[in-house]
Amino acid sequence: MMPLEQDNPKSDRLRAVLTTALLPGTVFALLLCALFAAPLPWQFSWPWLTVLDLDLAVYIDGLSAQFLLLITGIGALVFVYGTGYLANRPERRRVFGLLLLFMAAMIGAVVSDHLLLLFLFWELTSILSFLLIGIDHNRESSRKSAQQAILVTGAGGLCLLAGIILLGQIAGTYGIQELIVRAPSYLEDGRLNAALGLIFMGAFTKSAQFPFHFWLPNAMAAPTPVSAYLHSATMVKLGVYLLARLDAAFSDLLFWEYTLVTIGTFTAVMAAAQTVFERDLKRILAWSTVATLGTLVMLVGLPGQGAALAAAALFFAHALYKAPLFFVAGNLDHGAGTREIDSLTGMRRYMPWTAAAALLAALSMAGLPLTFGFVAKDAITFAKTQAEVLHLVSYATVFVNGIAVAVAAIAALHIFWGRDTVPRQVKPHEASPCMLLPPLLLAGLGLLFGIFPTLVDPLLGSAARAMAPGFDAGQVTAAYDLLPVIEATVAALACGFMIYLGWNWLHAHLTRFAVFDRIGPEAWYRRVIDSLPHLAAWQTRRLQHGLLPGYLAIMLAAVTFLVWLLLLAADPVFAWPDTEGMTVPVLGACLLIAAGAITTLFVNDHLVLLLVSGLVGYGSAVLFLFTGAPDLAFTQFIVETVFVVVVATVLVRLRRQPPPVRKAPPESRLRPLALTLAVVFGATLTTLILLVSDLPFDTSLTDFYAAQSLPAAHGRNVVNIILVDFRALDTLGEIAVLAFALLAAWPLLKLARGKQR
Amino acid sequence: MTRRALIAEVFMRVLYPLLLAAAIWVLLRGHNAPGGGFIAGLLAVAASAAYALVFDARQALRRLPLGPVRLAAGGVLLALLSGLPALWQGRPFLSHPWLSFGLAGIDIPFSTVMLFDLGVFLAVWGALAGYCLKLVESIEEEP
Repeated sequence: MMPLEQDNPKSDRLRAVLTTALLPGTVFALLLCALFAAPLPWQFSWPWLTVLDLDLAVYIDGLSAQFLLLITGIGALVFVYGTGYLANRPERRRVFGLLLLFMAAMIGAVVSDHLLLLFLFWELTSILSFLLIGIDHNRESSRKSAQQAILVTGAGGLCLLAGIILLGQIAGTYGIQELIVRAPSYLEDGRLNAALGLIFMGAFTKSAQFPFHFWLPNAMAAPTPVSAYLHSATMVKLGVYLLARLDAAFSDLLFWEYTLVTIGTFTAVMAAAQTVFERDLKRILAWSTVATLGTLVMLVGLPGQGAALAAAALFFAHALYKAPLFFVAGNLDHGAGTREIDSLTGMRRYMPWTAAAALLAALSMAGLPLTFGFVAKDAITFAKTQAEVLHLVSYATVFVNGIAVAVAAIAALHIFWGRDTVPRQVKPHEASPCMLLPPLLLAGLGLLFGIFPTLVDPLLGSAARAMAPGFDAGQVTAAYDLLPVIEATVAALACGFMIYLGWNWLHAHLTRFAVFDRIGPEAWYRRVIDSLPHLAAWQTRRLQHGLLPGYLAIMLAAVTFLVWLLLLAADPVFAWPDTEGMTVPVLGACLLIAAGAITTLFVNDHLVLLLVSGLVGYGSAVLFLFTGAPDLAFTQFIVETVFVVVVATVLVRLRRQPPPVRKAPPESRLRPLALTLAVVFGATLTTLILLVSDLPFDTSLTDFYAAQSLPAAHGRNVVNIILVDFRALDTLGEIAVLAFALLAAWPLLKLARGKQR
Repeated sequence: MTRRALIAEVFMRVLYPLLLAAAIWVLLRGHNAPGGGFIAGLLAVAASAAYALVFDARQALRRLPLGPVRLAAGGVLLALLSGLPALWQGRPFLSHPWLSFGLAGIDIPFSTVMLFDLGVFLAVWGALAGYCLKLVESIEEEP
């Protein structure tokens, strides 16, 4: 491929655009046609894992359709943009492949009508996000950011799974629509708050809500197309999507409303304030994305139909203005080699088209009239008047909007207008057409839908109906009420311009108070991550010291402890066993075992020790022989023999070599602690055996095998018949384990041999 | 140079095949009397280990047919395959059909269960002899 690109870069670029954007573009076009052709919702189901009651259930209503359009539409543009942004970069194939997989996972997540299915795709998006953030894996910061993203969202994912299972048990179903229909019947359940709390953890980690917000700005280590797609337009909205999905079922719960409104508002304010601390355009945009996500969570939590409409409008508006702004940041990175806002001024002269795209998108972000951002803001204001929120929340919204205006002004005015005062070695250059078309198109759409909001009314209406089932279409137009929103817009604009003008002053003075860095959740995250190696080293030092007596002591102590715990819990009745089975051979075998065991204490030579301890094994074999288990006795004899022979072989070989370590002095074997442990362990096991042998023995299974052995399996040795016929599958598994263990041990043993040499 | 025990070596050359023959006998009688593939496999492992004690582990490894890894894998494969004829008869996997055919006037019963037991025997022999001998070999000095 590489030589072709060098031969004819232009036609190759075109081909790349066509091939990469073809799939998402086609899906987008088909979806759009289908939306006109067939009324929502669409429902399909294919049987899959019927045992788990898990079918591939698909349910597409307005909310899903809105997400599908964003995923495929912006996806197609991201691919177009990526062919320009990643041209001639070696990692581009990996990026495109992962992006396609991500798109599929995302589509799966928003169409699933089964919570577990949704979870499956949810986790897939987390993993793909991890891979995409860490695409530049030679940089340590990239790896750290990727690790942080997967740890935070992965931990949230586990909570989500627990929450889903709990919710499924409470409601008796995992089907989402089923869950909504049955909602009134289980809202009183006491476990519901726990389930919802766990689901919140999942949604908040995914959608970067406080206190899990910090991974998102760090995820900006990913290439810009990835940031625009995953970390602004689609994946981070998945948490909000899940909440919006369940909103129809739980919006009446106070716990639901209060948690979402509080966390959402707090996240929005905190993230808006954090933008002032940043100088990197991409990180500024990332923080403002977190602020928008907070606003979305707040809107989902607000009761009322207006809030549902506002959430739907903001989903849409944010994708239409934030993705182009990310593209603009990418163009600047590409053309001017930096994203630091200090070294970017007057770029309009070098990059006129990028400047135009930035301006269009910024107008929408600032919420000026005749843009779609204004429509969204209008809907939010309407929602708040309808839901009667606290004044505090209203003030918070004005502040967040003000910051949004300031960020828009930074992106469109500060960077592109004014005079270029920074000395430059290389003249910045305009980006290629395939990096200009996507931002211009998206920002232009934002303007178009702002002038003609009725174009998207049906979509927003049906999306809102998914969150608030009783939503009627008349509400959409009712929300476009100009008077109250003018007030809010003027306030936000005034506030925003003041922040914009004082940005440098604020930045200089506020960075001194960057307390979040020291006490915030990210600092705690880092402390935990940094202390993990120490913890691991400590426990390895304590537990994996390589001394056999130490391992033995830990194991014996643990077994003793557990057995006593069980004994105390079960509270059994103790009785001495009867001495009926005590014949002479049995007694002899017992004496043999005891003699072997006691002699080991007084022997120092390893070879003799081995032979003496073999007496215990042979004694056991004799015992089995005379208590009606000839097969077991046979096995025991041979195992003992093999053991003694192998260990003797090793000992004989070792003796020829000089001893590597000085032998431990014999007194140390009778150290008081070890002696105590040994006596306690022995006593525990003896007690256990006495108690077990006193229990009545259920013989129904043995009777069955004994009766069926000859007629059903043509054999008289019941033990072997069980092994090879009745439970043949188990035996097959066991010998497979044996063979696999050999396969696993083989390279290690070869390695040991190599080291010897 | 390691010391050699001449009497033990001569004795072992005779004992090794005898032990293996005993293992086969135990394997075949296992259906009706104490024995079977598992015990027979252990007996063969004992033979291999004794061989390694007298000679060395490398020579003992070399006397395993096909080598330990293939021997163990072959055993598992044989046990696996022995379950397939039942499927052909429409019965569950690993249910063993019995045939009996006359040879020189004596009825010789035959069943896939024997193949299964043989597979167990080979897998146990290959795997356990593999661990033990390779472990011993790792501390042996080079010849």
